[in-house]
Amino acid sequence: MHSTGNDIVSLDAIDINRTLQPRFYSKILCAAEITLYRKTGLSQVPFERYVWLLWSIKESAYKYLQRHRPELVFSPTRCIVTELEMPAEYPMTDDSITVLQDTGFEHHSVFKSIITVGRETLYSRSVVNSGLIFSVVNRDNVFEDTGWGVKRIDDVSSDNQSTEVRTFLLAKLKSDFSSNDLQIAKNSHGCPVLVNSGVNIPISLAHHGHWVSYSYQASTLLEMSS
Amino acid sequence: MTKQEILNELKKVIAPYTTNKEMLAGINDQTDLIKDLKINSANLVDIIIDAEAKYDIEIDYDSADKMVNVGTCIDVISEKIKEKNAQHG
Repeated sequence: MHSTGNDIVSLDAIDINRTLQPRFYSKILCAAEITLYRKTGLSQVPFERYVWLLWSIKESAYKYLQRHRPELVFSPTRCIVTELEMPAEYPMTDDSITVLQDTGFEHHSVFKSIITVGRETLYSRSVVNSGLIFSVVNRDNVFEDTGWGVKRIDDVSSDNQSTEVRTFLLAKLKSDFSSNDLQIAKNSHGCPVLVNSGVNIPISLAHHGHWVSYSYQASTLLEMSS
Repeated sequence: MTKQEILNELKKVIAPYTTNKEMLAGINDQTDLIKDLKINSANLVDIIIDAEAKYDIEIDYDSADKMVNVGTCIDVISEKIKEKNAQHG
């Protein structure tokens, strides 16, 4: 069954000075990714934001892969972003958003990347503004079918983040699929799933600081509702 | 350093990144940093950097990958302290 992985970074929760220390960023970026930053165009992106953009892509890739390979250990420097394409419009201007959700990224300015993890090749889309970095990773370079959302929350306690992201996704799905019989649980490997009439559908949830996010493959839900 | 001494210091390293203080007080080898202590994955590199500074050691990629629960953190820190002492010994 198709799945996705997503991650969100709240930029007001990161330590810029620490991020800029080689001792820190070298634990996230490999040498080729530092070279990639120096390529034309990417210098418009502050380096600390680049570090966290790649972190969010790598974390999303790990979440995607871990669902299929539960024994996988997250190793940021072995998950390599080999290509990164700037959005047509950068910096983005919609910094005041508190909720953003859609299916696909056709109407959004996004970074696009290609990632390799061992023999696997994955693809990402990332929304970046002054408050957040949000990434989604898929196996194919096709995102028209990918449902996603980000939302700003007030209470940053881990219990509340967990509750808010589930409420946010369920509200969206209940509205789209006119079903009140949806629940979010974890599968035997600890990965989040949407449970409907005994069927587990993969979903991806993330939170950091004041932001929560989700992603899923809409086709898996359409199959469920048909 | 004994395992208990490393554990006591490790609690101080982890403390800024978890709000689950009750769980932190009672951590054991199996305590998972993300699942049990609710530490955001974005802070894992902070913990590695802080541990390096606290013990004056360098934690390489392979070792950092192992630091998923309290027991593996203690093992890695203990191993790196021994390596440092052997080099300076």
